[in-house]
Amino acid sequence: MQRGQALKVGLVLASPIIVYFVAFFIYPLFNLLQNAFTSSSGGFTLANFQAMPSDPLLSVSLSNTAYYFVGSVALEYSVGFGVAVLLYTYTGRLKSIFRTIIFLPLMVSPVVIGLMWLLMLNTNYGPVDYLLGPLGLGSTNWLGSQSLAMPSLILANTWEYSPFVFLIIYAGLQTVSPQLYEAASVDGLTRFQTFRFITLPSIRPSIVVAFLLNSIGVLKGFDLVYVLTNGGPGFSTYILSFYTYVVGFSFFETHYAAAVALLFLAIIGTFVFLMLRFTSVEEYLGLRRLRT
Amino acid sequence: MKALNLLVIAILTLISLIYLFPIYWTVVTSLKTNIEVFTHPPILFPSQITLSNFYVSVNVFRAVSQTAVGSIPWMIDSTIIAFVATLVSTFLIAAPAAYALVRYIKSVWLARLILFMTMIPEAVFVVPFFIIVAKVSLLNTWWGLILVYISFSAPFSTWLLMGFFNDVPTSVEEAAQIDGLSPYQIFYRVSLRLVTPGIIAAIILSFISCWNELLYALVITYSPFPAGAQTVPLFLTSFIIVEKSFAWGGLAAAGIFTMLPTLIVGVFAQRYLARGLTLGSVKG
Repeated sequence: MQRGQALKVGLVLASPIIVYFVAFFIYPLFNLLQNAFTSSSGGFTLANFQAMPSDPLLSVSLSNTAYYFVGSVALEYSVGFGVAVLLYTYTGRLKSIFRTIIFLPLMVSPVVIGLMWLLMLNTNYGPVDYLLGPLGLGSTNWLGSQSLAMPSLILANTWEYSPFVFLIIYAGLQTVSPQLYEAASVDGLTRFQTFRFITLPSIRPSIVVAFLLNSIGVLKGFDLVYVLTNGGPGFSTYILSFYTYVVGFSFFETHYAAAVALLFLAIIGTFVFLMLRFTSVEEYLGLRRLRT
Repeated sequence: MKALNLLVIAILTLISLIYLFPIYWTVVTSLKTNIEVFTHPPILFPSQITLSNFYVSVNVFRAVSQTAVGSIPWMIDSTIIAFVATLVSTFLIAAPAAYALVRYIKSVWLARLILFMTMIPEAVFVVPFFIIVAKVSLLNTWWGLILVYISFSAPFSTWLLMGFFNDVPTSVEEAAQIDGLSPYQIFYRVSLRLVTPGIIAAIILSFISCWNELLYALVITYSPFPAGAQTVPLFLTSFIIVEKSFAWGGLAAAGIFTMLPTLIVGVFAQRYLARGLTLGSVKG
């Protein structure tokens, strides 16, 4: 097929997504830019961005987001990674049952996860409170205390997302060639050395992808906060996604909301950029191979 | 060696129990009588099992009372919205676009753009989408929410299907071309059939993400009275807000109604879904 004709066929097939792209990406982005750079009277202004450094709620939301992000990603990553390695070393018949159970949280709606943890974390009647009673933590108001609301949120989020990290790492582990392990045992490597020098380097792409996709997933999260704490108590669980929603739909400040949304988009964009930098889209799709 | 394996089994069992416990706790709360729900210490195995939480509203004090069974109209709305959004985005938008990008346009930059679009948080575009939907007067309708749901399910399905189309050997298509099929016929009659596992994964995952979606539903179909188009997560959140400290049995029952469809589909289609859930980084 000739080049011009191929392009024509491609454009015909892609025409619905081009319409989609204009309607659901270009137009909303244009709308955000337009609102962010205008004042409510309609003139061009940078005031929406200049107001950001002196917005106490924004800085609270950003530092909460940092706390939530570091806590969740660290916990999810270590749990997900640990469980994946553990299940990988196990070779018995229960393997697929364990795998299915760990997969379950990914299939539960985040709103229901919020509900579950409301029940789990309730003061006096919840099982978490009861289990931690002997440690002197009984009758603790997990979700209603300024200092414990965020850790509670991180806990619920870890239950939800650590299986995601698990899934990627576990699948990565399965692609390590058995021949490498044979070579390692011929060379007399210990189990730890094999893991350190054979397994880890082989699953490097999975390690990076799991981290970046998990990071983006945590930053995107909205439902858990909305259901579990609704940003409270006080503003202690205001995170960026929740704040963006509040500015738009509780404060009705459309122009400032657009500026905050653009800031949020820039943060996500940075992670996507890193992801594209360290992993290869081309490799996934084999585009480089196709092009030649 | 044997002792080590036993230790691994013990730890894995413990971990599995931790993952299962919140689900178990929700199920068991929904089956408890109200007396056993509010007990200290909490009761792990109820002495009495009741199904009344699913249909009996326990509130005497409040005028608005909801039950899990009351969520059925919302489930119908959810099903229609998720189903239409999924079909439109998968067959009308994603499949031809993915095929075009892999076979004809072959642009790395467009592929990156699609990937970026799958990552945009709902909170970023929620105000513009609200403005657009309000402008075309589709607030509180099925179509309003369907349009908005296409916004995230279309790039997701496109990205997923690009991987699957790429795995189809070009020789199959070349053979079809020699048989005299036009490029569109090859797409529709040959390649599309060959990526059936990808289509199934795209349909299930996009259905689940529409079914679970909260933020857009909150904004686009929010109205104080049960309107024509409210989805299950919206029902559940308003139920939670009203009954947070009271009807736990009823809340847990509603939670089970909400999660059961996706949980069942998810467990049975597990193998198909891993690749899509991880945006293609797991090939299974």
